[in-house]
Amino acid sequence: MESHLFSDTHSDEPQANPAWTILDTPEQWMRFSQSVGDEAQPLVQSSLLLDGLRCAACSGTVERGLSGLPGIVSARVSMSKKRAVVVWSAELTQPSTILAAIQKMGYSANPASHNESQLNATQKNRAAFWRWLVAGFCMMQVMMYASPSYFTKTGEIETDINLLLNWAAWLLSLPVMLFSSRSFFSNAWHDLKAKQISMDLPVALGIGITFVVSSAATFDPSGWWGDVVYFDSLTMFVFFLLSARLIEVKLHSKTLGAMEALVSRIPENTERQNADGSYTRVINSQLSVGDIVRVNTGEAFPADGLLLSGQTKVDESLLTGESTPIHKNKGEHVVAGSYNLGATVNMRLETLGESTQYGQIVQLINQAAIEKPRLSQLADRVARPFLFFILLSAVLSAVLLWEQGHGLALMTAAAVLIVTCPCALSLATPAAMLASASAFVKRGILIRHLQAIESIAQIDTVIFDKTGTLTDNHIAVKSLSVKDGLSEAQALAMASALASQSMHPIATAVAYAAKQNPLANALTITLDQVEEQVGAGMQGRFEQRPLKLGSAAFCGVHSDQLQASDERYQQVYLTDDSGWLATFNLQEAIKANTAQAIAALQQAQLDVELLSGDQWHTVKNTAALVGIKVFQAACSPNDKLQRLQGLKLQGKKVLMVGDGLNDGPILASAHVSIAMGKGVPLTLAHADYVLLNGDISEIPALIKHAKKTMRIIKQNIAWAVIYNAVCIPLAFFAWLSPWQAGLGMATSSLIVVLNALRLSQFSHSSINSSKA
Amino acid sequence: MDILFVLIPLSVVLALVVLAGLWWAVYRGQFEDIEEEGRRIFEEDKE
Repeated sequence: MESHLFSDTHSDEPQANPAWTILDTPEQWMRFSQSVGDEAQPLVQSSLLLDGLRCAACSGTVERGLSGLPGIVSARVSMSKKRAVVVWSAELTQPSTILAAIQKMGYSANPASHNESQLNATQKNRAAFWRWLVAGFCMMQVMMYASPSYFTKTGEIETDINLLLNWAAWLLSLPVMLFSSRSFFSNAWHDLKAKQISMDLPVALGIGITFVVSSAATFDPSGWWGDVVYFDSLTMFVFFLLSARLIEVKLHSKTLGAMEALVSRIPENTERQNADGSYTRVINSQLSVGDIVRVNTGEAFPADGLLLSGQTKVDESLLTGESTPIHKNKGEHVVAGSYNLGATVNMRLETLGESTQYGQIVQLINQAAIEKPRLSQLADRVARPFLFFILLSAVLSAVLLWEQGHGLALMTAAAVLIVTCPCALSLATPAAMLASASAFVKRGILIRHLQAIESIAQIDTVIFDKTGTLTDNHIAVKSLSVKDGLSEAQALAMASALASQSMHPIATAVAYAAKQNPLANALTITLDQVEEQVGAGMQGRFEQRPLKLGSAAFCGVHSDQLQASDERYQQVYLTDDSGWLATFNLQEAIKANTAQAIAALQQAQLDVELLSGDQWHTVKNTAALVGIKVFQAACSPNDKLQRLQGLKLQGKKVLMVGDGLNDGPILASAHVSIAMGKGVPLTLAHADYVLLNGDISEIPALIKHAKKTMRIIKQNIAWAVIYNAVCIPLAFFAWLSPWQAGLGMATSSLIVVLNALRLSQFSHSSINSSKA
Repeated sequence: MDILFVLIPLSVVLALVVLAGLWWAVYRGQFEDIEEEGRRIFEEDKE
């Protein structure tokens, strides 16, 4: 996030840029757009970088303005990301028209391609810094001229010297007035023209009044306006306001750092191999599937693909949550957005752009930041009437004090205008939620909409799905029992010889268990006539005797032949023509740390339940192992939905945790939901959160962080309300001078942003601890 | 105290000169990378 706050573009008369027409070909607009809609109605979704947005009201103006244009299906503006996402129909409008329309509204827009935004950013940063520097330097100088009056009584300084000092202060206030605070004026003016009022209107009025009163006092000390000058106040509060905005921008980019870094980690251009083996750097949009590219150490892979040469280490942490670098050999897959840490390698591209997992993650993040949470909408609604109230109070205060002196009355009004800080109110929610979302991203948790932070902080019940959620998808041999005279290794080796011929998960598990056993590994067993009976088992001939591996019915074992039947396990048997040889007890592997995660949830007074479609005894066993007391087995999806409805009727707020693959409707109907991102296409996981690495031990920390976020939002809102409630009356009764008002407002919005900054780090401890 | 009639205008002029210097510095990118220049002192001279 760069400093786009100090937009200068307002001052220029809006004019359509002829260069924009270049963008009107599909080839060009696809560089910052993507196709949406269906064949009957093809639509284009473009993202634009917006400039000149100051507060929440602005985003509404642009949204409404764009929605009214022909051919525009929808327009969403993110105030905090300074981005607009516009969906439009190529038949009815074109990019240059959209850009010109935004310009007409008093903002400026650019296609959100990476290069341009960076170039703009340098320019903007310089301009912002220069404005701030002018204000600061002139403030100090003006203060010098004002200082004699701080220490002397009226009349102690000769009138002409006094006049000269005022004149000098006036001269050095001019740059502050005309240059540094220009953005306040141009923004206010544009809002007035659009029949809007916004944050900058009171500020601009306050600055204007102060300057007029002081100038009049300088050039006509005996006149109607009085003889007191306020140039020191004027320059000081412009400096304070600009400082606050500058710091805000810095803090904002700090909180959003992780997200920005993730979204923009792929370099814009890549070295592509030519037919003759040389390399040329090309823009990523020119890459296509099948291209061979060279990726240097420290760069991110531009697409999903296959490693063609060499070996390297890659860091996939932001994509999978796996923090240790992974070794990759020739022929292995690398994913877009992961970092190449080891050596320069060549890869063949297989999947590009939006279809990669990385592309989907970026899309989700951008979407989430644009969504407006409920509290934020509430603040926006309050902001407008509040500004009207401020304007009225300013007028009223001036009228009440009019008799005591015109200058004093006007300066009181200016103080009222400057001290108010609706910014703190409208920043309170988005600043905190975005900081928190960025902390989530750092831990491999994606959030679909910011509103989900509020939702997950309210839950009282957690329902887990079993397979893929509490347990890994693969099943494992936990124990085996064998006939007397047969060793475990022999049994495993024989079973494995059969099992390795099948792809069934249980067969894979048996084969895997044999591989893990060195003794069994050492035995070689050759089988003839191996065949699989689907859904029952495997059979073959070993040393001319039939050998079977499979269910009890398939192998023909009877319960009286079995040594130890254990209902906790799913069992398969190994038999030959003499009867039972061995029993393998299989169990789904429960994910690491699951029991601790469940214990942490229960400690936080949350009801934890397990709903599973599996057999009663497996579910009971899993529940016992992870410490869940309430469980329901053999649930059809419908049963799960009904259970959820039942809880809803009791007024419970349910968090549903599922694998996101088979339980879409159930996840969607819960109050809030978490899906496991492993192996599931992200766009299909219909959940509010996606755990990229599928590690459910993140859930307690996630809930805790969401609760902390809500606490901080409440603190922020409370602070904004209290600040305004205390300071406006103070200014109204002329107890605050304009510079104090400026300082108050500047610190007030900074406090909100600083408070939100506390959320950009995740902390691990129990859910209800640390009442911040 | 008549000298003040010279000194005060002079201070204004000086302030404007300093401002011009600052403008030059900002737009020449002098403030863009503050740390790098400090670090460069410690680097070996390349001959």
